[in-house]
Amino acid sequence: MIRTVFRMMLVASLKDKITLFYALLFPLLLMAGLGYCFDSPEYRQRLLIGVIALGTLFWAVQGVAFQVYGQRNKGVYKLLKLTPFPTVSFVLALTLARTVIGLIINAVILLIGAPTFGIAISFSGVIQLLLMLVGGMLCFTCLGFLVVNFSRHEGQINMLSNLLQIPMVFGSGAFYSLSAAPEWLARLGKCFPFAYFVEGLQAAAKADIRPWGVSMVIMLGFAIVILVLAALTFRWNPDREPGLRMRKSGAAG
Amino acid sequence: MNQVLLKASGLVKRYGSKSVVNGIDLEVREKEVVAVIGPNGAGKSTTLDMILGLKRQDAGSVTYWRDDYKASVGVQLQSTPFFPGLSALDNLKLFAAFHKRRLSVEEGLRVLELCGLRDAARTEASRLSGGQQKRLAIAVALVHEPKLVFLDEPTAALDPRARREIRGLIRRLAESGASVVFTSHDMEEVGKLADRVVMIRSGKVLAHGTPEELPAQYGVANLEELYLKLTEEAAI
Repeated sequence: MIRTVFRMMLVASLKDKITLFYALLFPLLLMAGLGYCFDSPEYRQRLLIGVIALGTLFWAVQGVAFQVYGQRNKGVYKLLKLTPFPTVSFVLALTLARTVIGLIINAVILLIGAPTFGIAISFSGVIQLLLMLVGGMLCFTCLGFLVVNFSRHEGQINMLSNLLQIPMVFGSGAFYSLSAAPEWLARLGKCFPFAYFVEGLQAAAKADIRPWGVSMVIMLGFAIVILVLAALTFRWNPDREPGLRMRKSGAAG
Repeated sequence: MNQVLLKASGLVKRYGSKSVVNGIDLEVREKEVVAVIGPNGAGKSTTLDMILGLKRQDAGSVTYWRDDYKASVGVQLQSTPFFPGLSALDNLKLFAAFHKRRLSVEEGLRVLELCGLRDAARTEASRLSGGQQKRLAIAVALVHEPKLVFLDEPTAALDPRARREIRGLIRRLAESGASVVFTSHDMEEVGKLADRVVMIRSGKVLAHGTPEELPAQYGVANLEELYLKLTEEAAI
């Protein structure tokens, strides 16, 4: 049965055209724009990895947050709760569907970006890249669930996502080296999983296994913590206040 | 006597100091159609929510005939929740999967036809008209052939033709041996469909019995008069 649910979540995610635009067209335009302005070969490799990382972050955090918000507010989770299907299996199916689409989007960006910028990645590098993308996708999808759990309306999804994404991107070295940046910015970046994701992707592009492994372990550690927080605060009912507390006021129907 | 499928005893729900459900008892037996009626804000939906486990009761208990009852219970809520981006048929298949059933296209179309929606099978659920969405919500409730079905105002906001179709559907459900609990404001509908009526006001059961015996018991001509009489008395 989980296959049917997975397939349907795949279809539903593909119909989400706004986040598809964000995840595919925006990174491609960013890559073309910055690639045109900065044409050094070293920067172009950083740019390609940065664009893939940013696309993954947007697709996973905001994408899942808006999709879950839409489903929750339609009341479908209420109905889901009335069936014998475990919520955790549903969340897993949705996450897997979005991970598959996210991987395809990144493959497209990589297939366009690598030959355009003349970047060669070894076979083992591609495997490492793929594994890092899966890990990142899972970690940031959990973050997307956490964001929507604490959002009362769509505006708050944007606000909370930006509150997390902006320091993550600026403190990560995704598009520039942090060596010349203030130390506090690099330290701030290390408080979030995105910096390790970017480092892992950069190491994968060079097929450098040791830093890749360290980044992967730290990022998965973040993923576990975020997953636990997301599970503890998950709201199937849109009427429930964010957090663990139950609503205290209401009217009879 | 038929088996008891659901027994709710002494249900209480409070929001702060305000009690919205005050010790409601409800029993549903196999092959029985029970109508829960009462004015807006009487506590009908809150009672259903507690019975379904969507709201936690402050006191009282709910017991089903078996522990894994969810696989045999179908629910149509007042709202019409569907997965955005999916067609009517895909939503049906998805909810069938939630009930651990694999639904073929033919089976799905058959259920949609039963609810008068075969032509709209490939239409995105969110693009259906209000009446069609209500019928799809009922189709979702029936997709796994449940033994006990809850329908919260199934004919509200429907045109006369759609109302007639839904009433026919409830009748066929009852004939097929399913038990149905439904809420309604239409006393004529209640009189035609229900085996038993439970009238609620201010979170309490005011009266219960068959649609035939209730008016006679209170010395009125029909259910509508009884409804007006009891809800007025309770309001005084």
